[in-house]
Amino acid sequence: MTTWRENLSLLCRSLCVPGMLLLLFAAAGTDLWAQTADKASDAAPAVRVRHVLGLEGVKRNSRGSLTVQAQALEFKSGSVSGAMPVASIQDVFTGQDSRQVGGKVLTLAKMGVPYGGGRVLSLFSHEKVDSLTLEYRDADGGLHGVVFTMPLGQAVVVKKQLVALGAHASLPVASQPEKQDAGGSKQ
Amino acid sequence: MKPQRSLFPVPLSRLAGPALLLCLLSLGFAGFAEDNPETSAWAIQVNPVEAEEGQLPPDFSMAVYEDVIAQLQKTKKFQQVYRAGDRRANSVPNLLVLHMTLQNFELGSQTTRAVTTVAGATKIQVHLKVTPRDGPVVVERDVQGTVRLFGENLKATYALAKDIAGVLRDTSLPATSKAGGQ
Repeated sequence: MTTWRENLSLLCRSLCVPGMLLLLFAAAGTDLWAQTADKASDAAPAVRVRHVLGLEGVKRNSRGSLTVQAQALEFKSGSVSGAMPVASIQDVFTGQDSRQVGGKVLTLAKMGVPYGGGRVLSLFSHEKVDSLTLEYRDADGGLHGVVFTMPLGQAVVVKKQLVALGAHASLPVASQPEKQDAGGSKQ
Repeated sequence: MKPQRSLFPVPLSRLAGPALLLCLLSLGFAGFAEDNPETSAWAIQVNPVEAEEGQLPPDFSMAVYEDVIAQLQKTKKFQQVYRAGDRRANSVPNLLVLHMTLQNFELGSQTTRAVTTVAGATKIQVHLKVTPRDGPVVVERDVQGTVRLFGENLKATYALAKDIAGVLRDTSLPATSKAGGQ
C-alpha cells in the first residue's frame, strides 16, 4: 500500500515533463507572436499623430493616423483626410519637443489646485514628442509646410520611409541634430 | 371699478432694457463692418523666414510661414495671397513681396512656464519688409511674437503672424498703376 507521500511524488514526476513542455511552447509562442506583431506593424505602418498645421482642408491640432504609401503620405482624421505626393516633398525634418498633457481641462484644473499644487502637477504632466516637418510644392510650385507631432521615436521611422520612397531630405536621417526643449537650446 | 387694460401684455419699462441692448449691438456691428478694410488692388507673395542655418528650427520656420499666409488671408486686404514659388504670381501686375528675416529666437519650455509662470517664454522676432516688384519699400518693421504663459511653444508663431497681419492691415498701400507694376 502506497502512502500519500509516494502518491504526491508520482504526481509531481508525471506533471513535470508536460509542464516543462507547456512552458517551452508558451515561450516559443510568445516569441512567434512577437515576430508576427512586428511583421504586422511593418505591413501597416500607420502612426497616430497630431496635425499641428499645414495640410489643406484639415483642421489644426486634429488627431489622426499618418500612413506612408507608395505614392503619397496620407493623413486621416475621421472622415477628413489630406495627402501629399512623395515626389513633391522638398525636405523632411525631425525634431523633439516637450508639451503639457491634458489640454485646457487639466490646465484649468491645475489652476484650481490650492497652495500652488497645480505647479507641482505640471512637473509630472508633460510628455516628450517627436515633430515631423515637411516642405512640399503644390501643382503651381507654391511652397507648403506641414508639421506633425507624434510619439517619441516615430518621426525618424517615417522620415526613413519617405526617403526610401524618393522624398528629398537635406539632412540625412542619422546626422540631424535634435531640438532640445526646457533648456532653451536650439536646433 | 374695472382696472384699465394696457395695449401691451408686458409693461414698456420692461422692454426698455432689451431694446437698449439691441441698439448697442446693432451699433457695434455697424462699427465692426466699418472697421473691415476694403480689399486693395494689390496681391501679396509671402516668402519663408530667412535665417542662418541652425538659428530657427524648421517647424518654427514653417509654422511662421503658414500662419502668416493664413492671417493675411483673413484680413481680406489683398486680392490674393501667393505662396513662395507660386508661378501664378509672375503674371500678377500689382504684387507685393513679403520678406521676413529672423532677428532673434528664444526657445522656451511649456513646462517651465507652467511651473514658474515667469520663466520659459518662447520669443521669435523677425524683421518685416514689404516691397513691390519695383519701387520703394512699403513697410519695414521689427515684429515679435511671444508665448509667455499658456500654450505650446509654436503658439509664438501664431502671435507673430497675427501681429504681421495687423501691421499690413493698418498700412496704407501705394496707389496701383493701371499698366501694372511689372
